[in-house]
Amino acid sequence: MKMRNILLVLTLVAASVLTGCAKKQDASERVLNIVSPAEIKGFDPAMADDLYSGREIAKIYESLLAYHWLKVPYELIPNLAEAMPEISKDGITYTFKIKKGVVFQDDAAFSNGKGREIEAADFVYSLKRLADAKTTANGWWVLDGKLVGLNEWRDKYAKLPTTNYDEEVAGLKAIDKYTLQFKLAKPFPQFLYTLAMGFTSVVSKEVVAKYGQEFINHPVGTGPYILPKFDQGKRIVYTKNPTFREKFYPSDASPEYKDLLTDAGKRLPLVDKLIVNVIVESQPGWLKFNKGEIDYYSIPKDNFATAVKDNKLSAELSGKGIDLMISPMLDLTYTGFNYENKLFHNIKLRRAMSLAFDEKKSNQLFYNNTSFYAQGAIPPGIAGQNKDFKNPYKGFDLVAAKKMLSEAGYPEGKGLPEIIYDIPDSTTSRQMGEYFQKQMEQIGIKIKVSASPWPEFQAKLKKRDVQMFGAAWGADYPDAENFLQLFYGPNSSPGSNSTNYNEPAFNKQFEVATKMQDSPVRTGLYEKMNKTLAEDVVVIFNMHRQAYTVRHGWLRNYHNSDLNNDIYQYLNVDTAKKEELLKKF
Amino acid sequence: MNMYSYIIRRLLYVIPVLLGVCFIIFIIFNVVAPDPAYVLLGRHATIEQINQLHRELGTDLPFWNQYLNTVKTAFTFDFGSSWSSKQQISEMIKAGAGPSLTLTVPLFIITFIVSISIALLVSFYRGGFIDKFVLLLSIAMMSISSLAYILFGQWFFAYKLGWFEIAGYEAGFPNFIPYTVLPVLLYLAFSWGPDTRFYRSMILDEVYQDYVRTARAKGVGELSIMFKHVLKNAMVPILTYGIIQIPMLFLGLLLAESFFGIPGLGNITIKALNTSDFPVIKAMTILSALAFIVFGVITDVLYTIVDPRMKLK
Repeated sequence: MKMRNILLVLTLVAASVLTGCAKKQDASERVLNIVSPAEIKGFDPAMADDLYSGREIAKIYESLLAYHWLKVPYELIPNLAEAMPEISKDGITYTFKIKKGVVFQDDAAFSNGKGREIEAADFVYSLKRLADAKTTANGWWVLDGKLVGLNEWRDKYAKLPTTNYDEEVAGLKAIDKYTLQFKLAKPFPQFLYTLAMGFTSVVSKEVVAKYGQEFINHPVGTGPYILPKFDQGKRIVYTKNPTFREKFYPSDASPEYKDLLTDAGKRLPLVDKLIVNVIVESQPGWLKFNKGEIDYYSIPKDNFATAVKDNKLSAELSGKGIDLMISPMLDLTYTGFNYENKLFHNIKLRRAMSLAFDEKKSNQLFYNNTSFYAQGAIPPGIAGQNKDFKNPYKGFDLVAAKKMLSEAGYPEGKGLPEIIYDIPDSTTSRQMGEYFQKQMEQIGIKIKVSASPWPEFQAKLKKRDVQMFGAAWGADYPDAENFLQLFYGPNSSPGSNSTNYNEPAFNKQFEVATKMQDSPVRTGLYEKMNKTLAEDVVVIFNMHRQAYTVRHGWLRNYHNSDLNNDIYQYLNVDTAKKEELLKKF
Repeated sequence: MNMYSYIIRRLLYVIPVLLGVCFIIFIIFNVVAPDPAYVLLGRHATIEQINQLHRELGTDLPFWNQYLNTVKTAFTFDFGSSWSSKQQISEMIKAGAGPSLTLTVPLFIITFIVSISIALLVSFYRGGFIDKFVLLLSIAMMSISSLAYILFGQWFFAYKLGWFEIAGYEAGFPNFIPYTVLPVLLYLAFSWGPDTRFYRSMILDEVYQDYVRTARAKGVGELSIMFKHVLKNAMVPILTYGIIQIPMLFLGLLLAESFFGIPGLGNITIKALNTSDFPVIKAMTILSALAFIVFGVITDVLYTIVDPRMKLK
């Protein structure tokens, strides 16, 4: 009898645990459920050099400028700035008026715990902090060599125990409480883009002082959402910032986004709570989306074939009210040569390798046939990319490749040493490496694939300790300069030019172009430089990828964007529709 | 020898072991592992920035100096802060230990009870149908990779049947239960096999001993023989096998934490390895080494309790 009672109790406990295991969703809450497919490094704007940390930071911090949510091509608009700046005729002096009445989020760092109003001096402090060598900011490159006197200020205090933030820097001044002035060391029209990046967000010196090194986990900005403390967990819950200024959903849109104007004129942010689930593996993310627990998701490579056919969603997904969004990404994937190795100074060898690479099959195998074939460095959608230009050394042509290899001095690969191809250690990268190896084998070139963990792969590139390597580049801002700088000699490793390509003529053109304001002349120069890189086969240009994202029918205003990190304030959840659609799950 | 002096002597072994551990991780980090500056500074790093970061992290100090710092860390437990997240490592470990333990402790206890129970059952019916069936089943289940269990279990039980949460974690009892039940059950599915087989062979070693035959001859019941005599005598290897797994509980379950989005210590370790976050790697290695030593001592002491014939020397 006793045993029977124990068993009964155990059964009841087990049943109650199991029945309570799967939670029911509450569709009435205006909550956004999203996924970050990568770990979040932290909330220091100066350190947010990866896309995913950048997206988290933009929920809390803001910069002077931002990208319009509903305009293509990307258009800069004032954010914490009152208006776009006054720019002197020589393109050197930028004067901003900042918005009045914008306050930092409440935090114990401020007197009485109430966030104070931001001033021009806060921007001066924030940018000096970005420049301070002691911050070891990975975002320093946006200011490096750009403002008069800033590099000198940085160098002066780099080896001293403390940095004097009160020392004036000629290129970075608060003229009065609401006026901020930048003086550039030389014209650099892309400077405005850098003021829309997370790195240049305004931070409060009180908060930095209070939390010290732990500032990275105590975000206090001016943005639409608050997060009292970041605990490096897998679930980040943001709530609406009660002191967020009056900011409204845009009322104008490019024709492509006219259907996203339902919430025009409404006060931002539109949802009360944001829940970010850090899910690195694709299966749980995809299953959660299919269950309606995530509002939008990028279709994983392995689920693509079942989810999409002929650029249309499967009947099962569309039956649940799910939409598919396809949009080109501002990126480039490529196979690089290290020019420190004299072997790759042989242009015919590079051309032969490029011609032997079957990009169509690569697109099928690794990108589900969704990517565009890169003809040069500049992706579609950016001025300088000539749609009609066809790279003469691309497109699979084994006969031409063999002939070219023979002309290079290595008929059928004879006399050519084995080439080491470095890749980061992941399943897809390994598959890509092996594919490249097989492609080159066809013309007699022996490739050895060397996979290393990500930190080691990075170290090899930075130390120039590679022969060939697989790489990708995503835009920091929508200007061709950001792609062309990958091949600018002075940016060689450990800078962003991992190929160490250093061609004086190209460098000179680059220096001229970067000083020019946006104009047809500059676009022409970009096109010419892009063509030079293509004909020189500076790398084997692979793909410009496209984003395939699915969203639920209840999610309003969403579209893919590479640069609008502040998207979450614009997103809305139609709770009635959610309740109705969830019945189909 | 007095038990206390034995414990103190064993714990003093910590000193040479920790010095050795410090030396090994120091060599691995400084000779084999890549420079963390390249990862921490990102894609636009300059030589000047890399040098500055080396100064900040202390990786520009002479090797002996860095080694002494590592040793100091090991003996003071002041692990400092993470290079990438800047959090105090002690705080990170505290935060990660909870989620890891909510996963590993129930798994450990359930696997222990289930495996021993099955082992006793099959030993009781040794050579019979049940024994053979369980043997076959355990071999079949342990032959499938843990990843396959996770992928299938998550898809079938959480997504298709909707019995469990797919992924995620909420701290505090009972909030974590919906998130940990499925990973625990899936891990149980592939870990009971090897454990049962081990326990079975330990029990069978005892079953054929003379004292069992004597007991049976004296008319002691089979159940009493199994529980009162056999199990007690088989406890020494069972304890060794069981307790030595306890330090592993603190390391978390790497795969389960990753697939089920559980912010445990396994997750912290993987993140640290991916970013060359030496202070975190150092802390986790030192703590694991310590845990192994401490639980080794506990096992020895328990031997004397379960088997009074044993003496500590």
